[in-house]
Amino acid sequence: MFRLVAADLRRNALGALAIVLIVAFATALGVAVTLQERALRLGSARAAAAFPVIVGAAGSETQLMLSAVFLQPAPLGLVPGKVLASLATDPRVAWAAPVGFGDFVEDYPIVGTTQALIDGLGGLREGKSFARLGEAVVGAGVALRPGDRFHPLHGQASSGGHMHGETTYEVVGRLAPTGTPWDRAVLVPIEAVWRTHGMEAHADGDEHNHDAAEAAGGAQAEDGKAENGKAEDGKAGDAHDHAGSAVDPEAALDAARATAADAPGVPAIVVKPRSIADAYKLRQDWRTDTTLALFPAEVLTRLYATLGDARRVLSAVALGAQALVAAAILLVILLHVGQRRRQIGALRAFGAPRLAVFAVVWMEGFALLGLGLATGVGLGYAAARAIAARLEAQSGVALPVLFAPDDLTPLMVLAGATAVLAMVPALLAYRQSPAAALRG
Amino acid sequence: MPALTVDALEVRFPGLDTPALAIPRLDIEAGARIGLTGPSGSGKTTLINLITGLERARAGRLIWDGTDIARLSEGRRDRWRAANVGLVMQDFHLFDGLSARDNVLLPLRLSRLALPAGAGEEADRLLARVGIERRDQKVETLSRGQKQRVAVARALIARPGILVADEPTASLDAEAGAVVAALLLALAAEAGATLIVASHDPRLIERLDRVIRLEAGRITASEG
Repeated sequence: MFRLVAADLRRNALGALAIVLIVAFATALGVAVTLQERALRLGSARAAAAFPVIVGAAGSETQLMLSAVFLQPAPLGLVPGKVLASLATDPRVAWAAPVGFGDFVEDYPIVGTTQALIDGLGGLREGKSFARLGEAVVGAGVALRPGDRFHPLHGQASSGGHMHGETTYEVVGRLAPTGTPWDRAVLVPIEAVWRTHGMEAHADGDEHNHDAAEAAGGAQAEDGKAENGKAEDGKAGDAHDHAGSAVDPEAALDAARATAADAPGVPAIVVKPRSIADAYKLRQDWRTDTTLALFPAEVLTRLYATLGDARRVLSAVALGAQALVAAAILLVILLHVGQRRRQIGALRAFGAPRLAVFAVVWMEGFALLGLGLATGVGLGYAAARAIAARLEAQSGVALPVLFAPDDLTPLMVLAGATAVLAMVPALLAYRQSPAAALRG
Repeated sequence: MPALTVDALEVRFPGLDTPALAIPRLDIEAGARIGLTGPSGSGKTTLINLITGLERARAGRLIWDGTDIARLSEGRRDRWRAANVGLVMQDFHLFDGLSARDNVLLPLRLSRLALPAGAGEEADRLLARVGIERRDQKVETLSRGQKQRVAVARALIARPGILVADEPTASLDAEAGAVVAALLLALAAEAGATLIVASHDPRLIERLDRVIRLEAGRITASEG
């Protein structure tokens, strides 16, 4: 019986291949949508997991989360230095580190921070941490090696930034891979960022503050407007006043200075609370008129809710495509059974029981559809992997493409539907009168 | 070696006043070699389909050795046919992609889970008997004459008591037709099977014991 099925399929190899491919593509569409959506969700959730609480200036929660976790450049208001000072000494806080951005080297964001964040991200894989103002630690995915020197660029080269030629950093270490956008970041001491942008401690006076906000926020943020999270034109720098004094690269770091109460402001602060209860209390305490505290994971969940709707639409489209393909395949199989009336009649005439005829036709149909289904799952997985790899290269977010136990249910349903679909031609063959089939 | 008794058999098609086939009585003795002849549309194929159980008789009786196959359900008729009837048809109905040997064994493979002991040897013996030497050759590469000889071997694989051939030589040239005709007669005799052959081929018909002539669904002559 299997030989007959195999011989039949071999005889119609091209047609069979076409059916397998059509089914495979339809399945792959659904599988890829599911896997890719999951990869995005898991990948971004893992990226956010390293940052339990983010504190920033009042403004958009989503923007603060995207900037601090995903290093997306955006004009952010600054939180005063005393906030970091207060968090650093808070007993509920395990560690707190500033995140100051706005400069780039090539297309890698330069992030001003402190040792606490380097430890929080998982420590170094090679070299040493920055100990002087002119030293930098690069993320695992940055194409700079220890010993390399670079000038920071204010704004991205691609959007017309200008060079801070007076500042030079030397790479001294590399972070362990984190699977987050921070793999593409270049970490420098926060004090160096302040100095580059002329935001020394004890800075007072409107003009200075203006400059400071502009620099650390990554764009020109007018003093008053910064508080509302608003900013003029994100284009960095033409009117930028080069108040920044050259950084003395040999100056040693003083850990206390970054967390001093009179330190300059920063756009975001990463806070690692000691317990979950502390996390909630901290978030509550720092949700004030001028500051914002958030759980990145929670903000992400809200984004997923939106993403979830998009996924439902995509899934519906994929399902529609599959139904369409199912109908087309049914038509093909019915035509095929029609063409094989004589063969089926002959099988009966030569003594094959009706059940055997049913089994032969069913097996042929199921073999084709099942093979298409299996190929489609593989194809969808490969496609999701390819897409994930491209996105990873762009964003640095590691996107885990993996099957979940939940995937089994729809796949089983699909396999079951395939088995039922293959029964349609088999039933037709079953009901055919052998004499009539032989005559036809 | 079953005998057949046909009693009050009648086949009507909707919209026709006269029955397409009406045989009040026909007796075929066990082991007989019967020819069935008549013009196209005279009811030969209808009669063949009825006596092999491919179609069900709605009126009358068709008794093979005490079994009235007109009373059997479709599934039981299939089983009865598989056990008792070997069929040879004008168009061979071999299955492309399978070897000659697999074609011969196909009816056995499809009707039971495992091949009965000795079936493979029997297939080889039958193929040798009909003169097919390359048993593993795919049937689509055989000549028409060879194909019909494979079909004859297949008809006999289940050791049927009844061998029925419907125009077995009509699609063959004279030489191949003669070979197939000779094989049918010889193998039916060797197997001790009752042979019924519907044919226009005078060289085949004249070698049979008895010839039944059908015209417009009626038996007009039964001689021999």
